[in-house]
Amino acid sequence: MAALEIRKLTKSFAGRPVLTGVDLQVRAGEFVAVLGANGSGKSTALRCVVGLETPDAGEIHTEGRSAMVFQKIHLVGRRTALDNVCAGALGGLPLHRSVSPLLFPRELREEAMRCLDRVGLADRAGERAGRLSGGQQQRVAIARALCRRPRVLLADEPVSALDPSAAEQVITLLADLASEGLAVAAVLHQPQLARSADRIVGLLGGRVAFDGPPGIVSGSDVDALYLPERTAA
Amino acid sequence: MTVTTPAPPRRRWPSPLALGITAAVVALHVFAWNATGFSPAALVQGADGIADFFAEALPPDLTWDTVLRPSLEAALVTLGIGLLGTTFSVPFALVLALLAARATTSGSAAYQAARSVLSFLRSVPDVVFALIFVTAVGLGPFAGVLALVFHNTGVLGKLWAEAMEETDLGPRDALWVHGASRVQVAAHAVLPTALPQLVGLLLYRLDVNVRSSLVLGLVGAGGIGFLINQSIKLFRFDEMVTHILVVLVLVIVVDQLSALIRRRIGA
Repeated sequence: MAALEIRKLTKSFAGRPVLTGVDLQVRAGEFVAVLGANGSGKSTALRCVVGLETPDAGEIHTEGRSAMVFQKIHLVGRRTALDNVCAGALGGLPLHRSVSPLLFPRELREEAMRCLDRVGLADRAGERAGRLSGGQQQRVAIARALCRRPRVLLADEPVSALDPSAAEQVITLLADLASEGLAVAAVLHQPQLARSADRIVGLLGGRVAFDGPPGIVSGSDVDALYLPERTAA
Repeated sequence: MTVTTPAPPRRRWPSPLALGITAAVVALHVFAWNATGFSPAALVQGADGIADFFAEALPPDLTWDTVLRPSLEAALVTLGIGLLGTTFSVPFALVLALLAARATTSGSAAYQAARSVLSFLRSVPDVVFALIFVTAVGLGPFAGVLALVFHNTGVLGKLWAEAMEETDLGPRDALWVHGASRVQVAAHAVLPTALPQLVGLLLYRLDVNVRSSLVLGLVGAGGIGFLINQSIKLFRFDEMVTHILVVLVLVIVVDQLSALIRRRIGA
C-alpha cells in the first residue's frame, strides 16, 4: 500500500477546472518529483492533501501524518531556528505547554535539535530564522516538517527561490530523507533536478500526463508539459 | 530605412463622473465654509484681541512653588493616566483583536461580536467615558484612566485586528497543516509575525493617550488639563502658558521615546 494515494482528484476554482482527475501514489522510501507548467494543478494537488484546499471529488489517503514545506518557506523570522522547528509539533501539545516557546517541554526541544541536526543546522539552532540564508531557511522548514514525525513529506516548489547550489542541497536532502523511509513528493520547476527523484510525474491540464522513473521519462515528454505555456508566451 | 514613431495616445479628458465628483466636493466645501461662519476678515478685525491675550499670557509665570512645580507634578499625573489607560487596555484589546481578525478568529459569530464591541468602544469618545466614570468614582485621575481603558480598547483592538489581517498568512498555513490549534497558530505565527506593527501601534496609542488625558483633565479627570482649565477660568493666561509649555515638553519626550523604540524594533 502506498503511503500517499490520490485517486481521481478534481478541483475547480470559480468554475475553472484545475484538477481534472489526478491519480498519484507515493510509496514509503520513494522520492517523486512532480513537474508541470504554471496552472497545471501541481500545488493545488499537494494543498488538497494537507487540507489547505478542499477537493471537489476524489480520494486522498495518507498513511500516518503528512507535513509540508513551501516555496516561500514561511518561517517566523524573529524566532530562532529551534523555536520554528518546535512549532512543527505543536499539534500534540497541551495549551499550557505550547503558548510560548518558554513553555515548550524539554523532550520537544531535544526532538527539534535532532531534526535540525538531520538537516545539518544544529549549530544554528539559536539563531533567528530571518538571519539565515534562503537555503538554510528552507532546511529549517524541512526540520520543522520532520519534527511532526510525518510518514509523508510534501514539498511545494521548495527550491524555486534558491540559488543552484542551495537548491541542489535541498534536493539531495529530500532524496536522503526518502531513502530513510519517508514518502516524499516534491513539486519542481527544474526538470534537471527532477532527475534525482525515483519517479517523475508530469501534470498537464489538471491530470497526470506521464509517470515513470527518470530513465524512462524522455526530454520530449517533459518539454510537452510546457508547450502550451511557451505557445501562450 | 526610416522608423516611424507611433503617435502618442489621445489625451484623456476627465470623465463626466470625475467632473461631477469634483463639483460635489467643491459644493461641500462651500457649504462647510458657510456653516462654520469661516471669515478671514473677522480674524483680521479681531487681531487686537489676540494681541491683548498675548500681552496677558506672556511672559509665562514660572514661579516654582505656585506654578511650575504643581505643573510638573500634574504633568506626571497626566503621563500616568495615559500610561495606565494604555497598559490596562492591552489584554482586552488583544483578546478582541484576535477574535476580530480573520487570520485568527474562531468563527463568524465571534468575529461579528468582537467587531461590534470594538466599534461601540471606539465610537464613544473618551471624554464621554470620563464624564460617566467621574459620576462613578468621583473627580480625579482614576476616572481618566478608566475612560482611556475603555476607549483605547476599542481603538487599539481595531488597529491590531487590521494589522493581524495584513500579516503574511504563510506562517499561519504552515503551522495549521502541521496540526496546530487556533490559539497555537496565533501564538506562534500571527502574533510574532505582526509584532513590530503591534508594538508600533501600541506606542502610537500611548502617544495619543497622553495627549487625550490632557483633555480629560478639562472635564475633571485630574492631571495638567485640570490646571489649564483652572487657569483659564481665573484668567491667569500666564500660568496657562506655563502649563502648555510643560505639556509641550511632555509630548515631545513621549514622542521621541516612542520613535526610538519603534526604530529599535523595526516597526
